[in-house]
Amino acid sequence: MYPFRQIRPFAATMALAAAVAFTGCAATNVNSYLARQADITRYHTFALAAPGRFETGDPRLDNNPFFQDRAQAAIEKELAGRGFAKVPAGSAALIVHYYLSVKQQVTGNHAEAQYGSENQYGSCAGCTPRYVSDADTLVIDLVDARTEQLVWRGWVEGNAQGAIDDQRVMEQRIDKAIARILTKLPRLS
Amino acid sequence: MRLLRWTTLTLATIAVTGCATMTVSSHIQNGIDLGRYRTYDWGPADALPTGDPRLDKDAFFQDQMQGAVERQMAAKGFARAEDDHPDLLIHYHANVTQRIDIAAADRERGYCYDDECQTGVIEYEGGTLVLDLVDVATNKVIWRGWAQQSVERVLNNKDRMRQDINEAVRRMFERLPQPL
Repeated sequence: MYPFRQIRPFAATMALAAAVAFTGCAATNVNSYLARQADITRYHTFALAAPGRFETGDPRLDNNPFFQDRAQAAIEKELAGRGFAKVPAGSAALIVHYYLSVKQQVTGNHAEAQYGSENQYGSCAGCTPRYVSDADTLVIDLVDARTEQLVWRGWVEGNAQGAIDDQRVMEQRIDKAIARILTKLPRLS
Repeated sequence: MRLLRWTTLTLATIAVTGCATMTVSSHIQNGIDLGRYRTYDWGPADALPTGDPRLDKDAFFQDQMQGAVERQMAAKGFARAEDDHPDLLIHYHANVTQRIDIAAADRERGYCYDDECQTGVIEYEGGTLVLDLVDVATNKVIWRGWAQQSVERVLNNKDRMRQDINEAVRRMFERLPQPL
């Protein structure tokens, strides 16, 4: 059995504060790209792709209608707000697909490392604590209905820790994530 | 000194067994009136693999699971349909995946195992049991419950498996509102 050593209260407090900052606010990274030579303003109508199997890597969310219904409603609301009209699939200029991927991620705590982690015997680079979380990536694709070519892709990377087990929190996260993704989409005038 | 040993032992125990804690939760269709449903039956058997050959087509697991669910459905006032027209169909799916955990107790309390002060990484087989109630009329899931825990010492121990299935199903159904 290895002896335990206790980190000084300040370092422990900093580590705990950094942990709360990391897992508590579901930090997100949003990005997008537009296909080369694509002009999104040419498209004015959309329809959601026909439902198929929805596999995420997390059995709680695989084929989960509560997630899918909320995501679809949020996509429709945000696209309408950006000037796109929802129409039947047969007459839509854009077909909207969305995907979710959830996987475990081990992350070192950069904030704690930045402030330094000092134990009673002095600084120790190995003291940087690590955290396991459910990292998720939500992707929205807009596909040209006629050519079936990808026109625009937006995505958000976040932290689903604690969100899946609380339906209300999950719904809030979905609304927020989709709104953030679609702010990257040029608004139709 | 004795107190420190006990504290150390307790922390080490929490670190090792921390990921064995069962987590249970559920999603439900907003505004659903469960009083509309009176009868149920079992849906088609799960075609998806569990991710662990020890659990695939395990008759003991399936019997225990169905028995536990039927007891809880009866306790909620649902009856097994006597004809081919149930109000609800039940599906369940078990999944086992390799997962990792960091010794959370050490991290939060600032304790270290060794001179490098590395936090302990634990690999374990994480099991998820998902139970769906499907409205036959609309073919939509109206409620999903799930339980997650380490199944390291469960798959090879039938008594433990039976206990854990019963606990998982009982706790899932505690989250299902009582039909009016």
